[in-house]
Amino acid sequence: MDQPNILEAQKLTKVYEDGLCALDHVSFSVKAGEIFCLLGDNGAGKTTTINLFLGFLNPTEGTPFINGIDVTKDPLAAKQHVAYLSDVVMLYPNFTARQNLDFFARLGERRNLKRDDYYNALRQVGLQEKAFEQKLKGFSKGMRQKVGLAIAIVKEAPAIILDEPTSGLDPKAANEFLAILHQLRAQGRAILISTHDIFRAKEISDTVGIMSEGKLLAVKTKAELEHENLERLYLDYIQGKVAA
Amino acid sequence: MLRILLEKELRDIIYSTKFAITFAAAAVLVLLSFYVGIRNYQESIHEYENAKTTNAANIAAQTDWRQIQDRVFRRPQPLEILVNGVTNDVGRTTDMRASGELNLINSRFSADPLFAVFRFLDLNFVFVIVFSLFAILFGYDAINGEKESGTLKLVFSNRISRASFILSKLLGSVLALGVPLLVPLLIGCLMLLGFGIPMSGLEWLRLGLVIVAGLLCFGVFLTLSIMVSAMVSRSSVSFLLSLVVWIFSVLIIPKGSVLLASQIASVPSIDAVETQKRKFTADQRQKWMQASQQWFSSRMTSSASMNDSGFVNAMAAFQDSLQKSTEDARLEFYNRLDEDWRNKKDWQEKWAFGISRISPTAVFQIAAMNIAGTDVGMKFRYMQQLNRYREAFAETMRKKTGSSADYFRIVIRRFSGGQNDQEEKQKSLNPSELPEFVEQPRSIGDAMTASLTDMGLLLILNALFFAGAFYAFLRFDLR
Repeated sequence: MDQPNILEAQKLTKVYEDGLCALDHVSFSVKAGEIFCLLGDNGAGKTTTINLFLGFLNPTEGTPFINGIDVTKDPLAAKQHVAYLSDVVMLYPNFTARQNLDFFARLGERRNLKRDDYYNALRQVGLQEKAFEQKLKGFSKGMRQKVGLAIAIVKEAPAIILDEPTSGLDPKAANEFLAILHQLRAQGRAILISTHDIFRAKEISDTVGIMSEGKLLAVKTKAELEHENLERLYLDYIQGKVAA
Repeated sequence: MLRILLEKELRDIIYSTKFAITFAAAAVLVLLSFYVGIRNYQESIHEYENAKTTNAANIAAQTDWRQIQDRVFRRPQPLEILVNGVTNDVGRTTDMRASGELNLINSRFSADPLFAVFRFLDLNFVFVIVFSLFAILFGYDAINGEKESGTLKLVFSNRISRASFILSKLLGSVLALGVPLLVPLLIGCLMLLGFGIPMSGLEWLRLGLVIVAGLLCFGVFLTLSIMVSAMVSRSSVSFLLSLVVWIFSVLIIPKGSVLLASQIASVPSIDAVETQKRKFTADQRQKWMQASQQWFSSRMTSSASMNDSGFVNAMAAFQDSLQKSTEDARLEFYNRLDEDWRNKKDWQEKWAFGISRISPTAVFQIAAMNIAGTDVGMKFRYMQQLNRYREAFAETMRKKTGSSADYFRIVIRRFSGGQNDQEEKQKSLNPSELPEFVEQPRSIGDAMTASLTDMGLLLILNALFFAGAFYAFLRFDLR
């Protein structure tokens, strides 16, 4: 049975006051149980797309939908259906991993969770047990990413948006992180990832969207990429050797 | 949601190492300021009691009321130790006399010049320097710090309104920082009780008001730095801006306002006024001598003898009237000079205080000094009380020393050898026959009225920066 669209961008356009066009009629959708990678270099418009989904920016044109809710019309209701993890996940360094989780869970309106529920989420993301009640100020970026992902898991939102989640992670931590994303996909979450890491994008995603200068140049499924050299394809697209 | 955010804010501040260190430093300074104040008060009271005893002993050692050198001492007030204000600049001792100008000598700073340089550690210092810096340290990155650490986007990826977030920031910071600061202040109050500092109910009320004013000043810096944090995206920039505001507020504006006021409204120096007074007094003395010589010349040509009772009575009457007219003229001249100087000074002070009120710390200082009664009007009010006391003192001395005629008879008898030593021997004096000087502290009504504007200003500044922070955050770029 065809899965519903959880995240959907309809002709998203963002032109800033200074005339800069950050996003130009970008359309795509992410279904339940799908990982969609937005691949592009810096300034391609990946983060702008995410900011439009989270209501941090208003589109000049077009509409972002989360679980069928128009973000521009009811941003607060739409946010109830999405969990977000930014590229800078410092969280609250004076709180323990569990306290951070508790705070964000309550913000995400999961108010009846117990200590064990938090511990389970932290186990799920592979954080060491001894770190559960330690303050985050001593955590590595990989450990903080895991806590951030646990926050996204605990919210139990159908959509998860991750902005450059593996940047700055060592290969082992990055692999662990991607393994967790596979689990979340298996649970039926729609996952949108922005990245400029071509190899990780190919490894993890069901669909890859290649972006450059605010435009979505191509959308390729895992099957379409099976026999393609994604790096070559990506470079060809952004160098204009392949027509969008 | 507001409750969840508020709880987080409180815990985030209280769990931080920054809070532990700054709170410990602030607590130590608050307690130290109380302790130093208490010790100063005890020392000052001891000095005051000793000075009074010595003065009484000196009077008791005399046998003639005309020869006494009475001194009046300013009694230290408990609140002066917590809000020094101008206390240490005002002289503590006055040579009391029935006529002539009264002067205040022996100020604390003249006795301990080192303190004039470094000043005492009092509550004023703690609120103005320590608490305001404390507020900036916690407020400067309240908003943009969360943006830099990525938590702002994470928080706003949930169903959170901007209004509840900024409200939780402001209320949380005020509660998390303000309430803990009350703890050392309350312990300080218990120290006052423990050390037996005699505080009346009204003095407790005044101290309470000083603490309220201090916390309002703290609130101004806290809301101001949160507002700055919501206006710029980098915490390093907001720290720099807040620090510049602090430096201007604490160091530059108060000093600059005095300089500016002295340019706008010039006031003759005290030395210039004193020179005029000395010249007038010298002229009067000259006139007195001339008038006395004329009087004697006109009388000595007649057959009147110096032992003649009629002559003595006439001379006494003449001297009495001369003294009265001289004293009246002196008083009139001195009062006119003083009043003119005072008016000019008042005008200059109004300008200085008006300009300095740009600074929240200056507003607090003015309010605290007015409440504690250690404001710039302290010396003037004390002098007024001394002058009122002087009337009672002069009356007593008139009764004790008799008329001028009696005095002249004694002098004439001594010079003519008409009295032997045995006759002259008198019993020692009783100092308690002199009226006692009791300083009346500034009434709470007057203190409240004088501080009302500044308390109101502190409240307005709090509300203004609170609203400013709120508005700035509504426009803040969350990305």
